[in-house]
Amino acid sequence: MNWLTEYRIARRYFSAAKTPGSDLMKHVLFFFSAACVAASAAPDGAQLFTNNCSACHLLDQMVVGPSLAEIRGLYFGKQEDFLKWCVAPKKKRENVIEMPSMVHVGDEGLRAIYDHIMKVAEGVKAKKQDPGDPYKTSPTYMARPQVQRIFMPNAGPAAIAVALDETNSLCWDAGECRLRYAWTGGFIDGFPYWRGNGSSLATVVGTVKYTEAKSPFGTPGEGKFLGYTMKDKLPTFRYQIGAQTVTERFTPAKDGTGFQRTFTITPTPAAAMTLEFTAQEGVTITSDKGTLSGTKLTLAPADAATFTLTFSLK
Amino acid sequence: MKSFSLLAWLSLSLVAGAWTEHFTFEEISGPPGVDPQVGAMETLADGRIAVAFHRGDVMIYDPAAKTWSPFASGLQEPLGMLADKDGSLLVMQRAELTRLRDTNNDGSADEYETVFDDFGMSGNYHEFAYGPARDAQGNLYIVLGVASNGAPMAKEIRGEFSKIGKVDFVGMTTRETWGKNRGAAGRMYARVKWRGWVLKLSPDGKAMEPFASGFRSPNGIGFDAAGRLLITDNQGDWRPTSPLYDVKKGGFYGHPASLVWTPGWDGKDPLSIPVPQLDKMQTPAIGYFPQGELANSPTWPVVIPSGSFPANWTKQTLIGEMNQKNLVRVLEDKVDGTLQTALVPVFNGSPLGMGSNRLAFGKDGSLFVGKTQLSWAGGKGITRIKWNGKAFLSLDQIKAQKEGFALRFSQPLDPASLKTLAVSRHTYDYHQAYGAPKKDLTPLEVKNAKLSADGLTLTFEIGALKENYLHLIDMTGLLGKGGGKVLGNKAWYQVVKAPK
Repeated sequence: MNWLTEYRIARRYFSAAKTPGSDLMKHVLFFFSAACVAASAAPDGAQLFTNNCSACHLLDQMVVGPSLAEIRGLYFGKQEDFLKWCVAPKKKRENVIEMPSMVHVGDEGLRAIYDHIMKVAEGVKAKKQDPGDPYKTSPTYMARPQVQRIFMPNAGPAAIAVALDETNSLCWDAGECRLRYAWTGGFIDGFPYWRGNGSSLATVVGTVKYTEAKSPFGTPGEGKFLGYTMKDKLPTFRYQIGAQTVTERFTPAKDGTGFQRTFTITPTPAAAMTLEFTAQEGVTITSDKGTLSGTKLTLAPADAATFTLTFSLK
Repeated sequence: MKSFSLLAWLSLSLVAGAWTEHFTFEEISGPPGVDPQVGAMETLADGRIAVAFHRGDVMIYDPAAKTWSPFASGLQEPLGMLADKDGSLLVMQRAELTRLRDTNNDGSADEYETVFDDFGMSGNYHEFAYGPARDAQGNLYIVLGVASNGAPMAKEIRGEFSKIGKVDFVGMTTRETWGKNRGAAGRMYARVKWRGWVLKLSPDGKAMEPFASGFRSPNGIGFDAAGRLLITDNQGDWRPTSPLYDVKKGGFYGHPASLVWTPGWDGKDPLSIPVPQLDKMQTPAIGYFPQGELANSPTWPVVIPSGSFPANWTKQTLIGEMNQKNLVRVLEDKVDGTLQTALVPVFNGSPLGMGSNRLAFGKDGSLFVGKTQLSWAGGKGITRIKWNGKAFLSLDQIKAQKEGFALRFSQPLDPASLKTLAVSRHTYDYHQAYGAPKKDLTPLEVKNAKLSADGLTLTFEIGALKENYLHLIDMTGLLGKGGGKVLGNKAWYQVVKAPK
């Protein structure tokens, strides 16, 4: 008997039972709703799988979670372990999102899903793990210079990585409006970030040679980022500190390893100003204007309008 | 068993054939060397299509010449784009709303202006940023996703940290102890500013007004033809299944994490508020996408322009979907002024495939579908869909009635097929747990199914409609007078208000 036939019978009783709430009607109603519940609760493993699992688990290939082939390998003959995992999943794999609990599916539903997985994954072999970045050698991403906003180590979340040329790169922090660090060797490997959804940081390719501890203007959190303009594929960052607009442009050093850094400040400050950089072994800082004493640069107002520093990195 | 499979295969191929009889599906080759996952798409005034990709490239596609040209690069996870009158492009990326401008007219942007970045970033991967949508006055609306407890926050964050919550800053930012703390953090959390909020920006981005709260992972924002701000969200915690919202100023849309940033909030942990109280605070969804059946991860809404798809669909809203092989069409209805919708599959059983993330209609009326997967199930590249102008049978309007529904079709129905109409309804629990099963799923007997004299309007009764229930009208067995099936064979109508 399907639900509709049952429903029709119930309706016939319904009209027979003249008094609403009579025992007969209550009995029939109970019978009917029980039948409905039974009908709708009969778990369909394939359907439940589609509804609850298919966005993250493919048959023969790891996407967000392991493939069904791998799951079958792990849980064949271990239905209760499978249920325990689904109800209270844990983080098992590095760089893989933790599965949400499937407690809402219920044990019976989870058993049906288990049976479904064991059936469809029988004899299926998981494809080999993704060999790496398919765009590793793409000219689009290999071009230098290159600007890439991405999550970077040792920087705020609004980081911008800049490859000045083949060997010199740096990390600018748009949240704090300042240079964080510069490195030599290569650019970044963004694949840990791009392969997924940003759950891993990009990695620095090369060796960090200069790390700037704070903004040369000494105003943590006061800068307001305004964006950047592009010229010859290199950015000129713009930001506001108080009433002044600062631009900061990086180019590769003319000779040797390192970079040049040109600032403009408008309007020109009324009084002399001092900028402080970070002392670091192997880093030589020179300036075309002002007086550099150690890592402190003092600029007369006229010199502050535009000045260039060179950071030579060993 | 064999004959059953054969039958199933036959019926599937019939349905598949039906869409392809009326629409062409063309795969567009992506720009060489670019990861072809689409995050944003916009039709430009000259008919070219601007596309923003996963790794931050913005490329312009010329549909006439079938060529790509680079416009910008290096953005972080762009997930929304709008062309402006001056030829600039507004792009929403993780850290900011950016205006890309080609000031020297060489075809690519040389200015990346920060229009708005006054919101927090915890460094958590799930804090996606979506938008902008533009209202008739030119104001911009962006919406910010919340963080996932699949990972902690970064040690360095942007903006203020909310102390409200069981786990302190050290606990929220320490990877080594995250396994211990994550349960108490909430499945999705909003410990930095405006996560889970819609923000309204002045046209220049200089003024911001917190507009509405309660969002989780709202990967779809846009105005419909009537000027209503529609937002889709994803099934998860506090989302029994994916919802569609008509967003109004001051509204709270169900996901409580964002409440801590409500101006004047009293410091209460939203997770300590009793669920019935949260339920009373929330504005109900105007539609639901049943998980696994219609959509698991709905995406961008667009308005169907005239001259693109059948005339009866003009001005209706079309929505993308990541995990199911279909798009979704929105049929709106009003009961005593309350907006509610039926959601209908489009291109189910067609070659469309999964991953439909962004939609844009070209000047020739063809629909460009940009696909992505990120780390979930989905697709890649762009599919161009064009209607060949041949009429077909579809459900075009729906109206809730006191005891049932009235359905308006594009072509007359065969009265003999009315007996196949099947209707059921269910509801969902609103709770913190991830997703929810259908609750109180009840098949309903269809009575008095009748056609209007022209055969286009079908009315039927199922008894009084039930508020807060999703009513499934299964039209799989209905036939047109010429024998054709209904393309878009199911409609899920969310009764927010039942006609009295």
